[in-house]
Amino acid sequence: MERNHRRILVALPLGMAIFLALGAPRQAGAVPVFSRKYQTSCQTCHAIFPKLNPFGEAFRLNGYRMPMETPELVKQPPVSLGSEAYERIWPAMVYPSDLPSFVPLAINVKMADIYASSHDDSGKTITHNDFQFPQEANLFSAGTLGSHFSFFGEVTYAERPDGGTDVEIEHARLDLDSAFGPEHLFNFKIGKFAPDLYDGFQEMWLMTDNGVDSLFAFSPIGIHGGTGLSEEGPGVSLPDRMRAIEMYGVAAHRFFYTIGYGSPIGPGGPNDTFGSSSRKDVYARMDYKFGGMGLDGDTTGVTLPPENWREHSLRIGVLGYYGDGSQADPFDITDEEGNAFKMRDTHYGRIGAYASLYVGDLNLFGVALHGTDKLQLSDPDTLTEISTTTRTYDAWFAQADYVIVPPFQLSLRYENLRVADPVTPTIKTLNANASFLIRANIKAMIEYNRDLRDSENYTLATVLRFAY
Amino acid sequence: MKKILIALIVAASSALPAAAGDIHGKVTCKGSSTCADTVVYVAAIPGKTFPAPAAHAKMNQLNMKFVPRILPVLEGTTVDFLNSDAVLHNVFTPDACADKFNLGTWPKGETKTYTFKKECAAALLCKVHPEMEAYVVAVPTPYYAQAKADGSYQIADVPDGSYTLKVWHPRLKGKEKPVKVAGATEADFEIAR
Repeated sequence: MERNHRRILVALPLGMAIFLALGAPRQAGAVPVFSRKYQTSCQTCHAIFPKLNPFGEAFRLNGYRMPMETPELVKQPPVSLGSEAYERIWPAMVYPSDLPSFVPLAINVKMADIYASSHDDSGKTITHNDFQFPQEANLFSAGTLGSHFSFFGEVTYAERPDGGTDVEIEHARLDLDSAFGPEHLFNFKIGKFAPDLYDGFQEMWLMTDNGVDSLFAFSPIGIHGGTGLSEEGPGVSLPDRMRAIEMYGVAAHRFFYTIGYGSPIGPGGPNDTFGSSSRKDVYARMDYKFGGMGLDGDTTGVTLPPENWREHSLRIGVLGYYGDGSQADPFDITDEEGNAFKMRDTHYGRIGAYASLYVGDLNLFGVALHGTDKLQLSDPDTLTEISTTTRTYDAWFAQADYVIVPPFQLSLRYENLRVADPVTPTIKTLNANASFLIRANIKAMIEYNRDLRDSENYTLATVLRFAY
Repeated sequence: MKKILIALIVAASSALPAAAGDIHGKVTCKGSSTCADTVVYVAAIPGKTFPAPAAHAKMNQLNMKFVPRILPVLEGTTVDFLNSDAVLHNVFTPDACADKFNLGTWPKGETKTYTFKKECAAALLCKVHPEMEAYVVAVPTPYYAQAKADGSYQIADVPDGSYTLKVWHPRLKGKEKPVKVAGATEADFEIAR
């Protein structure tokens, strides 16, 4: 048993280094489609792409429309698919719509030099420096379709360090914006997307190259519960993308909520389906923003500084995620002696709290997440239940982003993950990033990511990204 | 009697306004498809000052653009900056000749003002929307004109006399030139990077 744990201790840093070298799943972020549409700079919405500033967040939540948008603000007038007057005689005629006058495509290219240090199976330190030119390219398509619909798509083409390639539809969604009732209150999205559950600490709010792995790359599945990070596998802490239907909205300018219903965490199911279970996961979040720009872009009664990355605000919220995997396909798993079993994560839940504080040039934010997984161990042949154990884990991170001057920004993040396996050490990582905007749409950054349990286990990435 | 008559003629002629003409011509803008951003003006006239106009000049922020993009004014003119958009706007300048002013951020319908006290071609920018750009060109005399797209310009009602004529463009440069105004006077410029 002790020997196996030693093996785990050796294998963990190596796996983590490989995982970090491969790059955690992250959305590319910046969408120059909107720069063209509105003839405006990236800095209108981004502090440093892809990190959104408060106005960019409002723009996103408004269904990719300016707050109180007028047709004159759109510098690429759309193609009409029917006069507005047809609205009055619907359904005698098709409801009018419009589409972008130009195919709304944008490209984001990322090149990286990854220097990785880790241990091999014998404990010997190995280092490698890899030019990943390019590491990935993202094709974006985004815009609005008439008065209440918007869309967002992203296809990522990535080159693996081994020379292979991956192509993935990272986002493909249709939004129904302000479907009924007060403006901004009832919005819906359907498709594959990053749920608004994570709004504020994943996707468009990070300026770092690495995502928050302790939240999105931990697998709680294991013979004694999860032991470490993994890029893929049966079950993760939180899915970075979901195939889901989501309702979200903003009330009174400052209260945000979202409720989602989507395919479950875990690998694909039978008949080449995406979900291993027909049952769906549910999630919800609510939060409130004090001070600063309203979540819908409202600025009534608020005096904001001219620098649009600055404000004084506090946003706090809670989130929850629940899934029923009792009908999911069981996973193959072996114990320390090599005995084979089947395992199911029959019920899993996540609860968390989130806070984001803006004080001038500083944005300090973090999340604490508690996960519970009911792991059912079964006989591999008869599927007879052998045992069911509830495992828990706790993950949290805190990140500080600081604007020294607009082209030069720093970020520092600490992540802590008490894994579900009770005898496996807590994962602690440090991520430090210095980003420099060479131009509004060209970014260079140096990022250091280190496993704090092992000084020889780290990556140093030099990244160049540009969008057009 | 003859002396009295001469004195009367001299007195009468001094009471009449000085003869005035105009300065007109064409600016050739090398490296730009339009000359519409060009301002031609009479440089400071030694010993002569001009009172600042009481009326404010106006610059709008509409559809995320400064309107007009080029605003020539007389030194001492106060300019009103109106935000007509639903989004916040800011106006600041990096130019010391306008005190590097920063008027803050303000919402739709509100106006902030700044008085351009001395000769200055101040670039106006918006920190909220970095693509927005305009210029207030504060000049020392009321004799100025903004060129048309084809480069033609006309400065009307310039008193006869000798002056220095200057030309300004955001990116192109040209040499000043002396002009002697006597009625309609022509002065052409060529400006380039």
